[in-house]
Amino acid sequence: MDIVQIVLIGIVATLLHIILKDINPSFAFFIILITSILLLIIVIKQIGLIIQLLHSLGNKASVNSFYVETILKIIGIAYITELGSNITKDAGLSSVASKIELAGKIFILLLAIPIISAVVEVILNFIPASTAPF
Amino acid sequence: MKWIGALILICTTTWIGFDMSNRLGDRTKQIRQFILSLQMIEAEVVYSQLTLQDIFHTVSNKTAYPINEFYRQMTHKLSDVVTDFLDVWDEALNRLMKVSALKKNEQEIIKQFGRSLGQHSSLQQQKHIALAIHHLERELDEALEQRDKYEKMMRSLGVLIGIFIVLILF
Amino acid sequence: MLLDATILFQIAGIGIITALIHTVLKQVGKEDIAQFVSLVGFIIVLVIVIHHLADLFQQIKSVFLLKGF
Repeated sequence: MDIVQIVLIGIVATLLHIILKDINPSFAFFIILITSILLLIIVIKQIGLIIQLLHSLGNKASVNSFYVETILKIIGIAYITELGSNITKDAGLSSVASKIELAGKIFILLLAIPIISAVVEVILNFIPASTAPF
Repeated sequence: MKWIGALILICTTTWIGFDMSNRLGDRTKQIRQFILSLQMIEAEVVYSQLTLQDIFHTVSNKTAYPINEFYRQMTHKLSDVVTDFLDVWDEALNRLMKVSALKKNEQEIIKQFGRSLGQHSSLQQQKHIALAIHHLERELDEALEQRDKYEKMMRSLGVLIGIFIVLILF
Repeated sequence: MLLDATILFQIAGIGIITALIHTVLKQVGKEDIAQFVSLVGFIIVLVIVIHHLADLFQQIKSVFLLKGF
């Protein structure tokens, strides 16, 4: 699956959408939905390779693998959220789209909480215990 | 290989659609033929004094398939000794129903008509024939209406449903 | 069904055929059956799309390492 095929799929989908819009508008939306799903499926497989590379790099750099995993999960949430929000926006429901984005942001924050607290602890440990008499 | 299967499926549904469409046309043709045969019988009853068997023989030569087969079978059966005319008539009628596009209503009308054959004077016979023709003409109107409405629809539906199924199972 | 570009043509084809059947039936006068057929076509395509959607999410979950939320 190279870039040419992906672009061609996109162009074909656009043409089909134009044709279907007049005949059967609901099916036109299905074309949009299935195209983005199709393209994502193709791309995800390639992303998997990149992720494996990042993982091995992280291990070699002896970073706690927990952090690398958290970052990857956050990226995953971002992709899914973007898919959902874009699809609903295409259907015209931009309000639903912004709610989906909001949910995505909240979940990412939830995942990030342990990292944030760990960073705060490290910073607090850095600062020498302030026994300065005020 | 898949293409061949898909093509066969589309041809089958198209053929079914065309068949059902043709049936409607055949029904009108056959009702007309039967009305014609009844008019011939009426003419024979009024103007000549032939037996039923001879009348049927004459009519079977002048009508088209499958009506002529019906009368031919009647002629043949009547050449033997007949105990019950009604049985012979009904049997020939059942066979006609199997090979023709006629429906229940026409079958009932023809059955009723069979009961009146050979029983009454020629004047009464004429009246019965006129009655049967009247009923059949009403059925003819209905058949024509149905044909006009559904003929094209059946054909296009046949093709479309074939393509539909092929797309789903592709 | 494979993850191939032919899916697009399948769905587009089903959409067009459903619209044609709808029009033919409407011309004869049986609009209610026409609506029913459109709905059926829609549901069929919906099933296909949801199948692929589930597949997509399965893959995302596995690639981004078990997002068991």
